[in-house]
Amino acid sequence: MENIKKLILNTVASAVIEEKQKLTVTVAWDKLHLLAKTLRDNAALPFDVLVYLIGMDRGEELGVNYLLSSSTDLSKELVLKTGTTDRENPLLYSVTDLFETAHFNEREVYALLGIRFINNPDMRKFFLNADWNGFPLRKDYDANPELNPLSLESVDMIDIAPRVMEVDGKLVEETVNIFGDDDYIINIGPQHPSTHGVMHFRTALDGEIVKKIDVHSGYIHRGIEKLSEALTYPQILHFTDRLDYLSANINRHGLCLCVEKASEIEVPERAQYIRTIMDELNRMDSHLLAWACQTNDLGATTAFIYGMREREIILDIFDKTCGGRLIINQNVIGGVMFDIYPDFQKDVKSFIIYMREKLKEYDRFFSHNVIALGRMIGIGNLSKEDAISYAVTGPAGRASGWSNDLRKHTPYALYDKVDFKEVIRTEGDSYARYMNRLDEIEESLHIIEQLIDNIPEGDICAKVKPIIRIPEGEYYQGIEAAKGIFGVFIESRGDKFPYRLKFRSPSMALVSVMPLICKNEKVSDFIGIGGSMDYVIPDIDR
Amino acid sequence: MDSVSKYFSGLFTGIFSLLKGMSVTWKELWTPKVTQQYPENRDTLVISDRFRAELTMPHDENNEHACTACGICQMNCPNGTIVVTSQIIETEDGKKKKILDTHQWDLGMCTFCNLCVITCPSDAIKFENTFENAVFTRSKLVQKLNNEGSSLREKKKEVKPVEPKPVVEAKPVVEAPVTEAKPVVEKKVTEEVKPEEPKAEKE
Amino acid sequence: MILNYSQPLEITNLTGWLDSALRSSMSEFWVLLIEFVLVGALLLTAYAVIALILIYAERKITAFFQARYGPNRVGKWGLLQSVADMIKILLKEIVKINRSDRFLFFAAPFFMIAASMMTFGAIPFGKGLHAVDFNIGVLYVTAVSSLGIIGVLLAGWSSNNKYSMIGAMRSGAQFVSYELSAGFALMTIVVLAGTMQFSTMIEGQRFCWNIFNGHISSVIAFVIYLISGHAETNRGPFDLPEAESELTAGYHTEYSGLQFGFYYLAEYLNMFIIASIATTVFLGGFLPIQVQGWDAFNGIMSFIPTYVWFFGKTAVLIFLSLWVRWSFPRLRIDQLLNLEWKYLLPINLINIVLMVILVLTGLTLKDIFGIM
Ligand code: SF4
Ligand code: SF4
Repeated sequence: MENIKKLILNTVASAVIEEKQKLTVTVAWDKLHLLAKTLRDNAALPFDVLVYLIGMDRGEELGVNYLLSSSTDLSKELVLKTGTTDRENPLLYSVTDLFETAHFNEREVYALLGIRFINNPDMRKFFLNADWNGFPLRKDYDANPELNPLSLESVDMIDIAPRVMEVDGKLVEETVNIFGDDDYIINIGPQHPSTHGVMHFRTALDGEIVKKIDVHSGYIHRGIEKLSEALTYPQILHFTDRLDYLSANINRHGLCLCVEKASEIEVPERAQYIRTIMDELNRMDSHLLAWACQTNDLGATTAFIYGMREREIILDIFDKTCGGRLIINQNVIGGVMFDIYPDFQKDVKSFIIYMREKLKEYDRFFSHNVIALGRMIGIGNLSKEDAISYAVTGPAGRASGWSNDLRKHTPYALYDKVDFKEVIRTEGDSYARYMNRLDEIEESLHIIEQLIDNIPEGDICAKVKPIIRIPEGEYYQGIEAAKGIFGVFIESRGDKFPYRLKFRSPSMALVSVMPLICKNEKVSDFIGIGGSMDYVIPDIDR
Repeated sequence: MDSVSKYFSGLFTGIFSLLKGMSVTWKELWTPKVTQQYPENRDTLVISDRFRAELTMPHDENNEHACTACGICQMNCPNGTIVVTSQIIETEDGKKKKILDTHQWDLGMCTFCNLCVITCPSDAIKFENTFENAVFTRSKLVQKLNNEGSSLREKKKEVKPVEPKPVVEAKPVVEAPVTEAKPVVEKKVTEEVKPEEPKAEKE
Repeated sequence: MILNYSQPLEITNLTGWLDSALRSSMSEFWVLLIEFVLVGALLLTAYAVIALILIYAERKITAFFQARYGPNRVGKWGLLQSVADMIKILLKEIVKINRSDRFLFFAAPFFMIAASMMTFGAIPFGKGLHAVDFNIGVLYVTAVSSLGIIGVLLAGWSSNNKYSMIGAMRSGAQFVSYELSAGFALMTIVVLAGTMQFSTMIEGQRFCWNIFNGHISSVIAFVIYLISGHAETNRGPFDLPEAESELTAGYHTEYSGLQFGFYYLAEYLNMFIIASIATTVFLGGFLPIQVQGWDAFNGIMSFIPTYVWFFGKTAVLIFLSLWVRWSFPRLRIDQLLNLEWKYLLPINLINIVLMVILVLTGLTLKDIFGIM
């Protein structure tokens, strides 16, 4: 990292480097793009993954935090910070040309904090309507409902995007049409059987061929990040289950880990075991549903029900352990809320045997079916470069040959003690993503097998103060959720509430890459690819 | 020649894969089904003990509960589901004492996060697995957890240490008088409205 | 005569008695008129009843394929479920769509239902249960059943809905392609049977069904007919025009109430029609299993009435179609066309030539074993 520091100072002499939880570099707003580019193109250790992009109201100044990481080694991380004190018309430079994933994230920052990004090709608000008054995540936001009354009028979609471009050193405000004049546009969503939630794709078609996709999101945006700013950490926990509700337990684990690290709480061994086992059960649950939905998107309803049937057994185990099926509320800060029940081991072990059998059945039933192969092989190709640029993680990213499993790169809980393979395929098509999930189910079974008989006796939760305060600072914890890297960022000012809390959702990256990989595919394949990406909308619309 | 053999091998492996798929469905046709026949199976239905369906305040045979009206549960609830109202009374020996007036819980707002239960210092509330809670009006979802005329249990047995605990020893309470929140009429209503699928999931 | 064993359960006697009773008391004109009306009414009722039964059967069988029980709340084992559904559909409002082409929108379902009705009339359900016996029966059935596509195309066009439009266009491509294969497969058998009339075709299969008679060639034609027939009915894995996970409901997205009911009925009836034509042409129609020379066996077999044989054979084929439908994912439009133009059609053409050779060189089973 010393070399990196030197590189940073050589590029931008005025950069301020601090050693915090992560190496943090603060630069002036006009230098950030240059620095990011240099870091990204650094051959020895390229910082080419933009893990998160967080808009912040730092009080005086409005700013953005970028977490860069290296696609070759995700444990190498580096935070870039910049900001502007102009609260009337805040402008920063976009990094969309360096990291494609920044596109949607910058639009989100614009919607929630009002910062516009120069050179972002499409500066519409994400999540919110263009006419929304105020910027919710600013500290001086007026939440008076009269400012943004509920409208029952039908509003036409406007396919014109404003943007700020830099032409010959001058800033130009301009607008751009998203679609051509005589494009045949069809709305896939927000109410559609295969968008996996209320996602809205405006799709321009040429016959059956998809020409362009424009993503509209925010139909179920609940403002969880804003709500969290007024809640204590244990209270915030119950939101995590409602982001990607299919990885409910893993998300919650992520937030617990972040708080535990920040306030230095030691989690008892037994709790670690329970957490790891539950996470893997949860991962299988999610993958089974993903499998089921993907087959359903391809028109195989029967397979869908088979997937649900197996998943039900996992849900029963959850139910018996934690009293919840989907939203299971298992992790708490310092450990877990519920101890395992007496027959837990027996149930899990019989599930392992059962599931192995069913995996074989899936193989016979669907994985080699000619029709299914024709619908998946070579469809929706995502190259490794694009996967990295769009920060597509999880089984989808690994299907493009990018090793990004945080359980391997930055092990947490017991993942450094168990033996498992990171499933990587290089084809990058729908079929690779499909097979990756099935293989990961097998790996999860393998992980559980190693732990299930060795759960040590002891406490299930560390002693934690009733009111948890996190020392001042910025904390980030990434965790491998079923759909990719789920991250929790907390900026604390020493209070019992977070000053700013942000969830990095894996699904956002998965959706942001859809327009790219669906281009020139057929409508049916667009649906099929959506199934293979396996995004969950509440995860995006936090 | 190569393309011809590819044509036929493609044809036959294709047909073979389809037949294999059909064999799976054929087997399933004769496999016993897993669907639960609710409500016919109500008598045999097993709901896990820990299932969080309804917040209750256990009362013992003297119609006494353990709630000291401290309001901690209300404070900890992330979404204002619990409203504890108390009143100050004067005991015989002249001391002022806070006692519970109503402990009100709104099923419609609760996210079942269990925070109230784990933070309650007196173990006064807990979740039951009585899951048939469908009603016709929203106002019925708001329940008063303490029984009419109930009072605070005298602190003879020491308060248990606060610890996250899934199932408490509260078994005897089941025989205790039915909690006010579930009158017989309402019970009947819940039988008629059978919740379809209790979970909202991926569409 | 086709069957010369005693058949107490046949209803030929009943119809014969009715006919002579009418004739004895009325003039020719009135007799014909009354009989027309009766036959028409019977066909309509049969149409509706068969559809209801099929809907129930499909839901039940599908459920069993999918680890479920299927309808089991209305009536014993859910037997009345279809009736309840029918009542619901009849009661539902017919929604008028803004900016749709009213006339075509209303006319489209009738095309669909009329086409399948007309085909339905030409099917021999049993001995003496045959409304019209054209001498070009096969041709008639092929021609009339393809009218249904007009209903689909009109529906897609007139709904003023983009999903419907895409569905209808897909349907057009699909129907035109698979009609070809289905036609050729039937022609193969026409070559074998030497007739296009259903009654004579059935008669010719008394001791040896066409599927055995033309052995290799017939079996290939049979499989191709089933596949393309299945595709013509727009059912999975060929349900692209509806493709509920892509196009919500495809061409009939905008239809509600009875109009939707028409499409729904027609879909099930088309499945039945395809199966019954396959039965008639390949599996000996309503004839019982008969073996030349085994008189006792034949006697027992023909004790079972012909309509039971017919519906039994058809039911087996329908089950096959359901089994296929609920086992496979949906094809994509290019896969669908590939299957037809790269596989089915060439194989079909070769097959028809093969059949001609078999017939001309006397290599059919009948010729080889000297079956009547
Ligand atoms: S239920 Fe518990 S936490 Fe709530 S007021 Fe009563 S004693 Fe306090
Ligand atoms: S379970 Fe959670 S949401 Fe429900 S009342 Fe208790 S604290 Fe409130």
